[in-house]
Amino acid sequence: MGRVYVTGIGVVSSLGFGRKPYWDALVRGASGISEVTLFDTASLGRSLGGEVKGFVATDFMSESEARRMGRCSAFSVAAARMAAEDAGLKEHELAGERTAVVVGTTMGEANVLGELQQAWIHEGEVRPAQLPRYGTTLLPIHVARAFGACGMVQTLPAACAAGNYAIGFAADQIRSGRCDVAVTGAVEIIEKLEYCGFVRLGAMSPDLCQPFDANRKGLILGEGSTMLILESEERVVRRGATPLAEVGGYGLACDAHHITRPHPEGEGSLKAMRHALESSRIDADEVDHINAHGTGTSANDSVEAKVIKAMFGDRDLPVTSIKSMIGHCMGASSAMEAAACIMSIQTGVLPPTINYETPDPDCDLRIVANEKMERKVDIVLNNALAFGGYDAVVTFARPGRLPEGAGDVIS
Amino acid sequence: MRLAITGVGAVSPLGVGADALRAGFADPAAARERAFAGESTVLDAEKFPEAHVAEVWGFDAKKEMGPKGHRNLDRLTKYLIVAGARALRDAGVKDGAEFVSSLRPEQIGVCSSTAYGSLDSITELNLVAELEDPRYINPARFPNTVINAAAGYVSIWEDLRAPNATIVDGNCGAIDAALSCETHLAHRRADAFLVGGGDVLTEPLYLALRRLGAIAGGASKWAPGERDSKGLHLGEGAAYLMVERVADAEARGANVRALLAGYGTAFDPPRKQSRLLHASGAAVARAIRGALDDAGLQAGDVDVVCSSIGGLPPFDVAELTGIDEVFGASMAVAAPKAIWGECFSGAAALGMASAVLWLDGTPVGPLFRGEVGRPNAVVVVSVGYYGNVSAVALRAP
Repeated sequence: MGRVYVTGIGVVSSLGFGRKPYWDALVRGASGISEVTLFDTASLGRSLGGEVKGFVATDFMSESEARRMGRCSAFSVAAARMAAEDAGLKEHELAGERTAVVVGTTMGEANVLGELQQAWIHEGEVRPAQLPRYGTTLLPIHVARAFGACGMVQTLPAACAAGNYAIGFAADQIRSGRCDVAVTGAVEIIEKLEYCGFVRLGAMSPDLCQPFDANRKGLILGEGSTMLILESEERVVRRGATPLAEVGGYGLACDAHHITRPHPEGEGSLKAMRHALESSRIDADEVDHINAHGTGTSANDSVEAKVIKAMFGDRDLPVTSIKSMIGHCMGASSAMEAAACIMSIQTGVLPPTINYETPDPDCDLRIVANEKMERKVDIVLNNALAFGGYDAVVTFARPGRLPEGAGDVIS
Repeated sequence: MRLAITGVGAVSPLGVGADALRAGFADPAAARERAFAGESTVLDAEKFPEAHVAEVWGFDAKKEMGPKGHRNLDRLTKYLIVAGARALRDAGVKDGAEFVSSLRPEQIGVCSSTAYGSLDSITELNLVAELEDPRYINPARFPNTVINAAAGYVSIWEDLRAPNATIVDGNCGAIDAALSCETHLAHRRADAFLVGGGDVLTEPLYLALRRLGAIAGGASKWAPGERDSKGLHLGEGAAYLMVERVADAEARGANVRALLAGYGTAFDPPRKQSRLLHASGAAVARAIRGALDDAGLQAGDVDVVCSSIGGLPPFDVAELTGIDEVFGASMAVAAPKAIWGECFSGAAALGMASAVLWLDGTPVGPLFRGEVGRPNAVVVVSVGYYGNVSAVALRAP
């Protein structure tokens, strides 16, 4: 047992590549939402997305590597390489059996499958060389190969909570001694079928993503990847690294209520939030900031607000949803938000929830509205309340701020 | 790792329930014949005259799940729900709709795996989008395209409110689900889990594997473990184990069928940058050693390996090489895929279910080599297609 630290962050986002450009844009309140160019949206009635533009896979990998993977894997490898560099690690320092790679996603290499199926449907045949590129299994495998990591390789498809699932699980594995270091985070791409599906569900806003606003009209899909380097305390001390943050405990629960709608009273998310605090060995009043799930849909935001209220009462607790800026990056979203949580601890700045115009009495929270907020931040809660009733909440803290034993197994 | 397995639920080409597996192991040759006897409902016989597939023949959702609530669920979801339902009731946790043991809904979670779970539904909706119009996609079917939907529905169907986790690691995912379970139990995030997973036969999966030359079609030889096997036969299935802490299981008076004793995993990439598919004996050996170490077992303590050999020679040879490296060439090796074909993550789940039944007194089979009576310790291994391997060690209680 022992502490688990974040020592590096890598980001591929609609707001830029690498943690600094990403963070600078978030703090500025920049919007990464634009017209989707990945496929024709003409007949869909919606056309916006947090699309990652200008990404060139070979900026981050060899042509040979790029050829064997789809856009989703390429995002994750790029983010992982940036995270390693951010952590001051040479690639060979992540090689070997003691390195785990745990990656979250919702749909994985959905565009590889889409291309295969288009060829199959329209041409009746596919090229064999393309076939092995499909497989959600491949996301961590490509990352592991990039570093020569030979330990655990797992994909956790936990829908919109996948980032928190992956980060929490990877931290657990370091604490239990099954690995010393983990490359973990999540990835998602905007893909046509997924986009159409959300339009058909009536969940997509036509113009703005406005989390917690009284006039919110739904989510806007986004894409990207954030990868973190997590290391055991012993390893961090041994190599003299400077941790960015500590991963505290986390809470998981399942609503067991409805496949797409949250439990009306937020039963599961309340339980996940409570467990996150308990396993971090902190009280609710020690939390300085919540990076909310905040999708901009009517049901999610009001339930999440209700749960935050039930958990934290009326205290002045600033809440942000960065989905207003980068869209809902599905499986990647809580990893993208984890990067923001860690940077808030590092800089004492809370990024804004942009497009916030009209307070909603059903979302009676202290929203960081439209402009960044500056304050000392030691402990941040990262909320993810997902499809399938998957609820996952992770705490991040200033190194050394959490009590001894935070995140450890409970005997 | 030391956890109690108190229930088994399975949906396989041999039928629904653990008893169908037990009957199959009593006569593996007859079971294999039965598993491949039907006319495929998934693959059109005119388009695929060469196909030999093992489906869950005669699966009747209404009979298993009742008349309502499953119209828009896909096949994998139904199989998982039924496997879960059987495991919960086999473990004495539920009777009908009631929770009848001390375990309450908020204490029970799901650790589930699939390799190609949503492929069926994604294909269905892609066909609509491509051949008709994306606007005609049925929103009630769209959730099935999301990988964790199937496991999510298990929790909803049975009202299991502790964490639900889906794991994807190709053929190894169901074994990794055991680690997920152990992790969450250790952190007291739940008190019991359904552990396992499943996969279903789909036309695109069959087409893809046929295009890759991985299917033994027509009169081609299908012989798991043999070097002249011409490829796989595909199957489908799902299984869950009910897993709890030993002390909890004993306290509630549960029948402990077996112990989940150790887990190991390994990844060994291909040496050539451009390659993706890779069979690694070294990874097999490392994963097995990890499981033995975790269980505190010596190689000599193990009576039989429940292998994942399925008829693809490079992968079968690598697996047997790894097994031989750890145990020597005289170790008994069972090959359940010789009954139901390659079911991907479902095969690993069915493999774990098989091991529990063997430890509980059901005859071990089919054996690729060696002989074994009632075992005291079984290692279940599953080999992925990219150099990934996972293994668990199970012991008699």
